[in-house]
Amino acid sequence: MINLIKAELFKLKRNRIFWVLIGVVTFIYGLANYLVIIDWWKMYNTGFYNIGLKEYNAMEMVKLPLIFNLIISTLAGFFINIDYTTGTIKNQILSGNKRSHIYLAKLIVFSLGSVITAVILPLMTVIFETTFLGHSDIYTSERVLYLLRAFSLYTLIIIAYSSIIMMIASITKESGKTIIITIIMTIILFVIDKSLIFKNELVRTIYENTIFYQIHRAFNSSITSNEIGKNIVISIATFIIISFCGSSIFKKQEIK
Amino acid sequence: MGEYVLRTNNIYKKYGKNLVLDNINIEIKKGEIYGFIGQNGAGKTSLLRVITGLITPTKGTVELFGQSSEKGLVKSIKRVGAVVENPALFPNMSAYENLELHRLQKGIPDKKCIDRTLKLVGLENTGRKKVVNFSLGMKQRLGIAIALLSDPEFLILDEPTNGLDPMGIVELRQLIKRLNREREMTVLISSHILSELHQLATRYGIIHKGRLLEEISSSELNQKCRRYLRIKVDNPSKGATVLETELNSTDFEIMPDGIIKLYSHLNDIQRVSLALTKNNLIIEHFSQAGDDLESYFTKLVGGVNND
Repeated sequence: MINLIKAELFKLKRNRIFWVLIGVVTFIYGLANYLVIIDWWKMYNTGFYNIGLKEYNAMEMVKLPLIFNLIISTLAGFFINIDYTTGTIKNQILSGNKRSHIYLAKLIVFSLGSVITAVILPLMTVIFETTFLGHSDIYTSERVLYLLRAFSLYTLIIIAYSSIIMMIASITKESGKTIIITIIMTIILFVIDKSLIFKNELVRTIYENTIFYQIHRAFNSSITSNEIGKNIVISIATFIIISFCGSSIFKKQEIK
Repeated sequence: MGEYVLRTNNIYKKYGKNLVLDNINIEIKKGEIYGFIGQNGAGKTSLLRVITGLITPTKGTVELFGQSSEKGLVKSIKRVGAVVENPALFPNMSAYENLELHRLQKGIPDKKCIDRTLKLVGLENTGRKKVVNFSLGMKQRLGIAIALLSDPEFLILDEPTNGLDPMGIVELRQLIKRLNREREMTVLISSHILSELHQLATRYGIIHKGRLLEEISSSELNQKCRRYLRIKVDNPSKGATVLETELNSTDFEIMPDGIIKLYSHLNDIQRVSLALTKNNLIIEHFSQAGDDLESYFTKLVGGVNND
């Protein structure tokens, strides 16, 4: 298992798209944060604004499924699907490792890549810019605690989301299909979030117990301990269930 | 009885209504070079996929190194090196990096095996050149290098000569022979050209439309594919004596129906017939017979228009 993780890390380090994503994410978040910090881009009444972190307003983007989905599904398309398109998935199976281990090793490293590109990089850019542009006074202990809690919960959500994308990528086997299907999925979720949730009790109950709704809760400043617990349980349960399903699909998959 | 490296028991594989493998039973003993021959689409790659666990058979079992359970097969596959269909490579990595990745996957501790294997397949001077810039032959060699990296006991190669130039084919043959001789490596090699595996394989399996038509040893095949003069005379035993005394040949056999198969003097037909008639033998039939490898294979699969 350790060998497989090492091999996946070796691949991730040499994956061009991963480095392109790092560059693009750093540039976009760097620019957006800068425009917010110099007050060129003004936003009011955002979650961050209301707790005195208006310099973090550009980070509202991380909450948008369409944004983090684009990052994660692109990574999946070119990190997971490349194994199918080049046929190197055959070598992995022929290496004499259990398929469940191969799947899990991929998922661990893919989740790491997702967390780096969708969580750590945006967060690092805003911390770096606020500090070096003279706004380090915003980091009071209360706000640091909020940021730690919110981004920790968000990280768990991104890991759970990565398991969903990984399963889709394993089923489709093609990068284009993976990206298109996940975009359609986020559009459907957007529609549910904005309209259906108010109309149908059942849809609302289901939706509120998904990681997509829990993103909003994770960044809520008045989140209770129970809600934190629920948030963690939903993320972990999603990860375990989807990983198990994905691994089972991969075990039965015919590799050509 | 030798130790079996591979045994397939009544393997069937169906895709929808299409039966691609129909009751395949093959056995490969340790140290054998098994040539698996069949036309394109005959089912060679499908069987290799089943053997290596890439696909599951609809019916039947695979026994690898005596293991046939799911867990046992995963363990046994560690002792196998295989290239199934195309060499699976990362195009944006060098040959060394591709092997390093495979070394990590296989958990081989010593990095020296990479240089050693690259040298073995003649790719030691490719340096940082990316695989995307490799020729088809170089990719084929790298695929074989990946298969050989862990010094496997059983090597499975699916049409490995695709893309190789004639010199490359000769070198590959020599490499396989050397690995078989020096490391006692058992080899299963597929091809759609029987003559390509001639003088390499010790046993052949011929597959056609998903069915194993024949398993034949190298010596049996050589015997079957030998050209000879087919002679029928009124007195076969006297005919044999004439061949021995007049033509100094012992390279013949008398069949139960009295036909003499003379394997020598194929280019000296007049001398043979003259010797027989001179000794008052009546020649009832005189012709050249026997198959070359390709015509033998073509006949076996039902002729050129068998599809």
